[in-house]
Amino acid sequence: MSGPVASAPSSLRKSVALVWRTLRSMRTAIILLLMLAAAAVVGSLIPQIPNSPQRVAAYQLAHPFWAKVYQAAGFFDVFGSWWFALITTLLFVSLVACLIPRSRALVRAARAKPIHARELDAFPAFAEQQVALPPEAAAAGAAKVLRRRHYRVELDAGGGSVAAEKGALREIGSLAFHWAFLLLLIAVIVGKGTGYVGHATIVEGYGWTDAQFNYDGDLRTGRFFGGNFSGTQILLQDFQDDFRTSGIPMDFRSELTLAAPDGSTEQADVRINHPVVFNGIRIFQFGFGWAPIVQVKRGERTLFDGPVVLGQTTPPGGNPLAQPWTGFVKLTTLRPQIAIAVRLYPDATAYFRSLATGVPQPMIEANAPFMEYEVWRGKLLDNSLSTLDTRFMHHTSSGLIGKGWTVDATRGCVISGTSGAIPASLGNVTCPNGGGPATVSMSFPDLRQYTTLQISHDATVPWVLAAAILIVLGLLPALYVSRRKVWVRARPDGTGSVVQVGGFALQRKDRFDEEFASLVQDVIAAAGGAVRRESQEVSP
Amino acid sequence: MTTESWARLSSDAFNLALFAYIAAMVVSFAYLAFRKERLHTVATVIGVLGLVANGVSIVSRGIAAGRTPWGNMYEYSSLITFLVVLGYLWVIEARAKVRTVGGFVYAMAVLTMAMAVSFFYVGPTALMPALNSYWRQIHVTAMITASSLLGIGCLLTIVYLIKAPAERRALERMQATVPPPIMGGSGVETSDPDAPPDYAGSADDPVGSAATSRKIGLPPSATLDALAYKFIRFGFPVWTFGVICGAIWAQQTWGRYWGWDPKETWSFITWVIFAGYLHARATAGWKGTRAAMVALVGFVSLLITYYAVNLWIAGLHSYAT
Repeated sequence: MSGPVASAPSSLRKSVALVWRTLRSMRTAIILLLMLAAAAVVGSLIPQIPNSPQRVAAYQLAHPFWAKVYQAAGFFDVFGSWWFALITTLLFVSLVACLIPRSRALVRAARAKPIHARELDAFPAFAEQQVALPPEAAAAGAAKVLRRRHYRVELDAGGGSVAAEKGALREIGSLAFHWAFLLLLIAVIVGKGTGYVGHATIVEGYGWTDAQFNYDGDLRTGRFFGGNFSGTQILLQDFQDDFRTSGIPMDFRSELTLAAPDGSTEQADVRINHPVVFNGIRIFQFGFGWAPIVQVKRGERTLFDGPVVLGQTTPPGGNPLAQPWTGFVKLTTLRPQIAIAVRLYPDATAYFRSLATGVPQPMIEANAPFMEYEVWRGKLLDNSLSTLDTRFMHHTSSGLIGKGWTVDATRGCVISGTSGAIPASLGNVTCPNGGGPATVSMSFPDLRQYTTLQISHDATVPWVLAAAILIVLGLLPALYVSRRKVWVRARPDGTGSVVQVGGFALQRKDRFDEEFASLVQDVIAAAGGAVRRESQEVSP
Repeated sequence: MTTESWARLSSDAFNLALFAYIAAMVVSFAYLAFRKERLHTVATVIGVLGLVANGVSIVSRGIAAGRTPWGNMYEYSSLITFLVVLGYLWVIEARAKVRTVGGFVYAMAVLTMAMAVSFFYVGPTALMPALNSYWRQIHVTAMITASSLLGIGCLLTIVYLIKAPAERRALERMQATVPPPIMGGSGVETSDPDAPPDYAGSADDPVGSAATSRKIGLPPSATLDALAYKFIRFGFPVWTFGVICGAIWAQQTWGRYWGWDPKETWSFITWVIFAGYLHARATAGWKGTRAAMVALVGFVSLLITYYAVNLWIAGLHSYAT
């Protein structure tokens, strides 16, 4: 009965030991590294949900079968998939399994002194010479020479023996490099896990507060994020953009006033490449666009008053600066509901010149801006500000509205306002008898810009940076420091001694011969210089 | 001189360099085939001439654009060619005295330049603001230097993969016909990446490699392997540093240090493969041909990172056109 009981744990122990040994082997590490690379290849060739959700959706429409396979395999989110995590985990387990014994060995080696050797002539590099000084002094001299050459030296002067080694930094660097990856992984997981990133759209003169529902809809929070948004208030004082005449963007700048819940405030400019850190969040310049201020009234009752954030769709190959900006005003409280679709041309002069010449002209700055509008009545299917579903609506009227104008949206005629930049032929018809009480009037008092800021919170960025620095700092000695071991023995020989020097290199062996020859010369010189037996006999 | 004339000088020098490298390639291959000392001298002179022209092209482009001349794929390619030829002439030819691989290096230079002219040419212009950061300088400089170093290393590995089996076959033939020579038995198995890996016979054995090397023309495989390792060992930390600088720059520009953008992903893949190569060299049973195969895969990955991502995969690094 004792047989199986005794053997079961031992066979279990054996198989655990086998798994552990396999994990520790360099072969496993190489294979895991190559698997990681292969997984990343998949992630770069198949569109990824976190990077390009539209391309994933397009792929799903085009290849429904493969999309299903990819979806099941996690190929649309490789870097968030269970098997990518598994490979990474195995790689890190293998790494740690390898690092623990190596680190312990390093500590042991650092504590231990270099060990003396006896048969020096057995080493690959060996030299022997009679010298003038007695063994004790010769060994001390050799020790001094080796110390000067940055060896760790163990001197046994009485025995005339020196043991020395150098290059421990190689292993220290290698271990620092590998441990730093563990630090990197932990810092990334903690930082991403407890952080969040999203986009805020703010119109000039308006404010925004860092809270869940104020984000644009693409808010990404970490797995361990507790919902504590910073509550920071951001007020956009002014947005500046700077284009070259060719349409190349040169600079964007959001001039912000920041306020933390604790009352501290700060003025800050956020520019491309110049993010601002405030109250634990980082704020980056991300995008920009036009936001007309629009007032919609029925009679004297105000239905809408505020900025309309416009977006842009550029056909492939088109110049985005030559494209109009589009958006919607949705009046949900009316029955029937009303939606006004607007299309903004920020620069009337440039736009009409493109119509005349057939060459699209960039509309860089606001210059007699105007909008085309279309009024739809019926039932609104959603509250999206960037799309309009007209399936349950009918088109009632359309027209033009310049900045500073007021129009009768229901009839499509102008109540007040003129512009020299807009040709009169384009239907800016003046309403015959002003606006009646039942008409829906729209005015366009001002055109402003909005900025899109990326807001992110990641607490471990400094740790990630520290790990990255450690990786580079460790890598250099790990690849470039060479280990050497050298021993010196001096035995009495007449009044002087016979000095033996032996040693070997663990790396860069091709360079060691030269090093060793010069080392032997120095050791002999420090031991009183070479003495020939004949001359000793002749001398008095 | 005006901006236009600097730009013209840059193009002319670029073309001169391209033709010089083509000539140097032809003459170098001729030297490999016929082993006439004069051919080698001619190849070196033309190569140096091409290098000077290449350097003039880069500098004058920088003056024409009013910034450091590494802002787009065309300029990167020109700089990589310069560094590859410089690395070859300086390290391989002048210091290691290896003269027969020049044709392969010039071929790589010619292909890189030809790609640059046919796919990536743009005039010298100012940069987009997103590319306008001093991290750009550091990141791009590191990536270009690392690409050049890894490129040379991989090229030598390819030559090694041609040479090593030929050496092995020659050795087998010799063993079949003559009594076995005393092979300097490499009995000591070390796990040291610096140690010459076990080739057909032994790296320390002058009999096998010297005899075959004259016949085939290429340098002994041990030399090729040691040189390849030298370049990759230098290139790898520079690549690591470059990727980290890129992450710092991305943190500033895009608000995240890593987002698995295709260029980021591929630089990571390349890094992982070369890390695999360095580990493989330190592992018994992977040294030699197998490690060289890993480096070859790394080379393919390097090319994809450099070219394919910009040409075919959409992402944030789309500065190709």
